[in-house]
Amino acid sequence: MFKKSNRSSKSIWAGIASLSLLLGGVVSTSSYAASTLTIPATDPDTTIKVLSFMNKADIQTVLDAFAKEHPTIKVDFQTVPFNDLQPTVDARVSSKSADLDVYWADQPRVSALAARGTALDITSAFSKYRSTFDASPWASGLYNGKLYALPIANSTQMLFYNVDLLKKAGITPPSASISDRMTWEDLVVDAKKAVDSGAKYGLLFHQFDRYYQLEALPVSKGGGIGAQGKGNLIPNVANKGWIDALTWYGKLFKNKISPRGMTPEQVEPAFLAGQAAYMVGGPWFLPGLNLSKLNWGVAPHPYFKGGKAATANGSWSLAINPYSKNQEASAIFLKFMAIDGGSGYIKYRNDPELAATPEAKKLYFAKDVFATPQGKQAATIIDYETSKTGVGRVQTVGYIEFETIMNAAFSDIRNGADPGKVLREASNKLRKAWAIYK
Amino acid sequence: MRIRNRSEQKRFRTNWSTTICAALLAFMFIIPAIWLFVGSIRPNNEILATMSTFGWDLIIPSRLTFENYYHLFADLGFGAALWTSFFTSGVTVLVGLFLALLAAYALGVLNFPGRSIVFSFVVISFMMPFEAIAIPLSQVFTKWGLANTYLGLILPGIANGLAIFNLRQYFMGIPKSFRESAKLDGASEPMILFKIYLRLSTPGLINSALLIFVGSWTAYLWPLLIVSENHLQVAPVALARAFGEHASSYGQNFAGSVILSLVPAVAIFALQRHFGRFEWGSEEK
Amino acid sequence: MEGIVLTVHSGIKESSKRRRHFLAKKTEYFWALTFLLPTLLALIVLRITPMISAIYSSFFIAYPGGIRPAIFSGLENYRTVLSDSDFIATVERTFLFNLVINPLQISLSLLVSVLMVQRIRFEGLWRTLIFIPVLIPIVGSSITWQAILQPDGPFNSLLVTLGLKPQLFLNSPQQSLQSITLIASWIGIGYWMMFLIAGLRSVPSEIYEAAEIDRAGPIRVFFKITLPLIKRQLLFVLVADIVANFVLFAPIQLLTAGGPESSTTLLIFDAYRTTYGYGSRNLGATKVVILSIIMICFVALQFSFLREKKVKEIE
Repeated sequence: MFKKSNRSSKSIWAGIASLSLLLGGVVSTSSYAASTLTIPATDPDTTIKVLSFMNKADIQTVLDAFAKEHPTIKVDFQTVPFNDLQPTVDARVSSKSADLDVYWADQPRVSALAARGTALDITSAFSKYRSTFDASPWASGLYNGKLYALPIANSTQMLFYNVDLLKKAGITPPSASISDRMTWEDLVVDAKKAVDSGAKYGLLFHQFDRYYQLEALPVSKGGGIGAQGKGNLIPNVANKGWIDALTWYGKLFKNKISPRGMTPEQVEPAFLAGQAAYMVGGPWFLPGLNLSKLNWGVAPHPYFKGGKAATANGSWSLAINPYSKNQEASAIFLKFMAIDGGSGYIKYRNDPELAATPEAKKLYFAKDVFATPQGKQAATIIDYETSKTGVGRVQTVGYIEFETIMNAAFSDIRNGADPGKVLREASNKLRKAWAIYK
Repeated sequence: MRIRNRSEQKRFRTNWSTTICAALLAFMFIIPAIWLFVGSIRPNNEILATMSTFGWDLIIPSRLTFENYYHLFADLGFGAALWTSFFTSGVTVLVGLFLALLAAYALGVLNFPGRSIVFSFVVISFMMPFEAIAIPLSQVFTKWGLANTYLGLILPGIANGLAIFNLRQYFMGIPKSFRESAKLDGASEPMILFKIYLRLSTPGLINSALLIFVGSWTAYLWPLLIVSENHLQVAPVALARAFGEHASSYGQNFAGSVILSLVPAVAIFALQRHFGRFEWGSEEK
Repeated sequence: MEGIVLTVHSGIKESSKRRRHFLAKKTEYFWALTFLLPTLLALIVLRITPMISAIYSSFFIAYPGGIRPAIFSGLENYRTVLSDSDFIATVERTFLFNLVINPLQISLSLLVSVLMVQRIRFEGLWRTLIFIPVLIPIVGSSITWQAILQPDGPFNSLLVTLGLKPQLFLNSPQQSLQSITLIASWIGIGYWMMFLIAGLRSVPSEIYEAAEIDRAGPIRVFFKITLPLIKRQLLFVLVADIVANFVLFAPIQLLTAGGPESSTTLLIFDAYRTTYGYGSRNLGATKVVILSIIMICFVALQFSFLREKKVKEIE
């Protein structure tokens, strides 16, 4: 009898052992298996560490509102310089020390973060809120069908112009109506006229040399967003659309319509100082414009003749550290920021920021900055572009390499290198960099 | 060309043409710093607006204002960063100097087999550029739980090869007879070091301390790697906060730069008056 | 009998003297070890441990980000890195850069130092002004120079006023490294000047008096007398400068991000970007190891040269 039970207990143990090996294998290869996150009925009593690049002063009102609604969850809000955000998140999450709970995630990077295991799978807690968000920001948080981040903001781009400089050059200002959208080709002609009549700069892009800003150009030329294939891991930046669009970009600097060397930080001040005839920029510029004494106007983002209208979009999302010991409290914070009242982040911020949800957009457009005539025009434009022409940035696990390599390529083209050569080089660099993901 | 030696300081005929050369050279060096200083006391948007023309408004502001300094402390929390810099640099100097003078004495005064090999080894290892091992070191420190700690900020700065080298030079320039007679009187090595050598090497100590201080005060890469929490960050890295995602404040950045430059400058200037010329690597006693 | 006692007595005195001598030596070794212990510990913790950690890390391959567990891969990373044409180009670029900048900076520092020790007035003031760039935080210096060297910035305006063509500086693949050199030298010259002035001053004036009697010209005096006498100081500064320039990092990271067209991508920046930009820790560690090996060879070579000179002088 003893022997029999030995054999059966042995086989039971063997069964358990092999099962746990199997399970262990499954758990470790598919990062954190199925999502188990839920939002609890009552708030836990804890402190969560939140990492961002924003100054605490700018977000204080939001934090205060959160503290009122969820008094037992304290928020330790930390800031690092913008360029250090990603490395800091990487360092803290990979140290597995629960030194971080929630962090600001750049929307196009979410796939990469998910694949690396830097972001917690939040599908089970938030998949039911899909309809509260605009399509493109929501999609940016998905990877392999699971959700890893919630968008708290969106963005778009518009064409600002200096009324006085245009008048001086005898240029008819561009119409603010969507149906009369200007083409890039016509804009360049006008910008040249402005420079010839004394404007220091013809056309400025707020974020020179950045994929965020320039993606709209090749997309408008039909060149696509820059990658293709399974998981968007085949570079596609050296096709005709890309080369044509970026040749146009490089010519701006060769023909002295736009300045070389000007950094993104210098662009808005230059426009505010009345030095530029046209500037492509985002809605966050509106408060500064209203406060200044500049005589300005706004029009829709241009497109290439014969191509389609395309605008940049996307902004920041919030993600949770998979090693956080406060996942539920973090989920409550995410819900507050992205969903409650349309979006707690947008609702309580003093400065207006474009929301990723239709409900919060209503709050956004109700802000003072849209009360002026140009403000109303801007509101119409923003609403249209975010619904119809916004093109998300390429979703790929290799996004960080993509952005780094492409931004360097744009910079080289801006400084006079041959676009075809640069883009083919970039293609090679991307292939090399993405080899690790195959 | 006549090189003026120390002993000749007080009595020579000034060569005015050479003086003018020196003045011009110094002026060329200081112009960017002047622009930076002027930028800190003028309205922020003026800095960018006047940057591209070579006119008087480049260095003559339309009006003087300290708003950049104010915003630096009020909005960017620069005060906390300054305090962190002072604290970490201060501790680094004290500990680093202590380490250096012990090592310099052992390597310059005491005798033991293989002394020159150890000396070469120590100096080479520390002259190995810090940046080369900063990345793996920060990962090691993080594993040891030293990320975002004062200890983590201070530790790498306490071993300074140049300071050891410098002090050793000084110690080797002190006549051996002092030590020999002290030993005959029965003094121990620590006593000789602290009672005799230190007293005679004040300029060397000051110089080494300043070397360590400047290294710690201006550190950028290490604090960037090891500290991610705002309130623990040192001032030079905190200055980068003046550049947000969309906007930027050159004025605040310049104001911070001025403050950070003034601290060691004042220290050097004050100590120079007390202890004669400030030089590094001198063998004078 | 007395003779024997005397001999034994002096024998005992001899051996006790030797014993005292031996004890004294032991005490000296003891103190040497004690005094050196903190420094040696620091060496192990701050230099040797990270090096071992980097070497260990370089034998693994991992998914970027450092969270998913790494797989042992032996020398695979080295194969990847050393067969990457971009990396080889970076190594060559770093070498070439150092070949140019180091003699340049040291020569300029020496010239400036020589000027400072002439019979001039307000020497302390000029010295301080030249030294001030060393004290300005690198973020401030870099931004200042970026603004100065902008295509439509003050420097170009000056060139235009003088009738010259405006230059691209940091925005040109040909001029970017030179611009970085300019910024690094603006800071470095003041720093090394401090060391060289000390060396120049320690030359006794009698030597110059003798030269004057021989009616030697200033240039001959400089090359035949001054230079050999400050050789030790000069070599030290040269080695230290080489070391510092080999890992030039901050201005590149703040101003050019390795561009344009990779013209300012030097070794340490490449390693930093691989580790922190792309999150490829192990690949970055591999690059750091390669960088360190090159560095150690450089420094050891120069230092042995320096030691040789020192030994010669003692003789």
